[in-house]
Amino acid sequence: MNPLALSLILTTLLAGTLITMMSSHWLTAWMGLEMNMLTMIPILMKTTNPRSTEAATKYFMTQAMASMMLMMALTINLMYSGQWSITKMTNPVASNMALMALMTKLGSAPFHFWVPEVTQGVELTPGMILLTWQKLAPLSLLYQMATYTNTNLIYLSGLLSILIGGWGGLNQTQLRKILAYSSISHMGWMLIILPFNPTLTLLNLTIYIMLTLSIFMILTNTFTTSMSSLTLMWNKTPAMTIMLMTTLLSLGGLPPLSGFMPKWLMIHELTKNNSIIMPLTMAIMALLNMYFYMRLIYYSSLTILPSTNNMKMTWRFTNTKHTMTLPTLITLSNMLLPLTPMISMLE
Amino acid sequence: MMYIVFIMGVLYVVGFIGFSSKPSPVYGGMSLVVSGGLGCGIIMGSGGSFLGLVVFLVYLGGMMVVFGYTIAMATEEYPETWGSNVVVLGAFLVGLLMEVFMIMWLFSGEHELMGFYFGGLEDLMVLGEEGFEYVREDYSGGASLYSYGFWFLAMAGWMLFVSIFIAIEVTRKRY
Repeated sequence: MNPLALSLILTTLLAGTLITMMSSHWLTAWMGLEMNMLTMIPILMKTTNPRSTEAATKYFMTQAMASMMLMMALTINLMYSGQWSITKMTNPVASNMALMALMTKLGSAPFHFWVPEVTQGVELTPGMILLTWQKLAPLSLLYQMATYTNTNLIYLSGLLSILIGGWGGLNQTQLRKILAYSSISHMGWMLIILPFNPTLTLLNLTIYIMLTLSIFMILTNTFTTSMSSLTLMWNKTPAMTIMLMTTLLSLGGLPPLSGFMPKWLMIHELTKNNSIIMPLTMAIMALLNMYFYMRLIYYSSLTILPSTNNMKMTWRFTNTKHTMTLPTLITLSNMLLPLTPMISMLE
Repeated sequence: MMYIVFIMGVLYVVGFIGFSSKPSPVYGGMSLVVSGGLGCGIIMGSGGSFLGLVVFLVYLGGMMVVFGYTIAMATEEYPETWGSNVVVLGAFLVGLLMEVFMIMWLFSGEHELMGFYFGGLEDLMVLGEEGFEYVREDYSGGASLYSYGFWFLAMAGWMLFVSIFIAIEVTRKRY
């Protein structure tokens, strides 16, 4: 895209999220969400094929519907309470409708159907922005207003998200769809802990964003989008193949990597609140996620599939993609577990 | 007078049903004009004379005119109207039915009648410390958009510009 146009669009994307995160008035928060949605459309349509256009259209339809529901919830809240503050939506109709609208924007079940289709239809970089940056604004609103919602809705949506994220990703060979189902599953974990300890939601969001950014950047650097090209990655960059393995294990929540930290703290918090069956179900369903990550690791690092001999010796071109932030991100996404006592600075 | 605002509200919703049953944009634009005029009537019936005239001027006189011209440039030979397609007619009738059900629900039961509260836009606002300085709320609201609400105005203007930019970027030829 034209650099001037791209800078305008990215500036407005940044401004939209910042306006939503900084606002205490519902109208400005809604305005920031609309800014995000509108400026995401040309980013999703950067490539010129009809698949991207279809993905951008689906994204626009679902997010516009969620914005409309949110506006209706705001108006109902204004009608019954007379004020626009985000933290005090005491009318249950308004707060639950706003909850469902924000869950649609996040892509958590049962409003998750757009996430795999939109993520698959676009390139890796817009998909990365979709799954990481676009989660910040709705979660910042949920963080503020979740105390007055019906918590059964939050638990139901969270559990369904973990189930659907686990089972949906099992039959996939395209990496973008696998990452989309992983996003759905992580949103489920973030939603469930929200009524108990919202700080852990933010911790899970931070670590999830670091992990997803690392994986997307590894995939962008090696031009892999499906499992078949993943099997040839060992020849191009063996170092990144190993990094992909450790980052995927971290995404699945395996100790001693960073991804274990939010899951451990969340299960700890849930059991402290005398809830045993739910964290048990969540932990077991996280194993489904771990299965397809293990499948990716198996095909990328642990096995070399049968191929002809000339495919084992590819010519190494110079890498033109910048990898400036990748070492930092990979280090952060793998080795943060000993720093767990530092989460008190998130409070 | 109490019923006029309510009837205008109901016809406003019927106008919305008229274009959301998706006829061709030529007929949808006509339905938008009708809805816009009735919306202006609702605002004026509630006492906000300034804001109602702003709706007529800016919305119908600015936005709808531009919309009408762009539709006229992009229209097709046999535009789809409410009578030409069973789907559009069916959607319109279903919408009308839902509106009738809603009105029936509104007048049943013992709850407070919504849609009958009017006159909320003609209040006066006290301005100035010595008292006795009153200003109409809708005038001062429009003016405070430029003073206290400057940030809102800046963001609204910026987003209008970015929306046009995005519309042009999306509908550019892509090859």
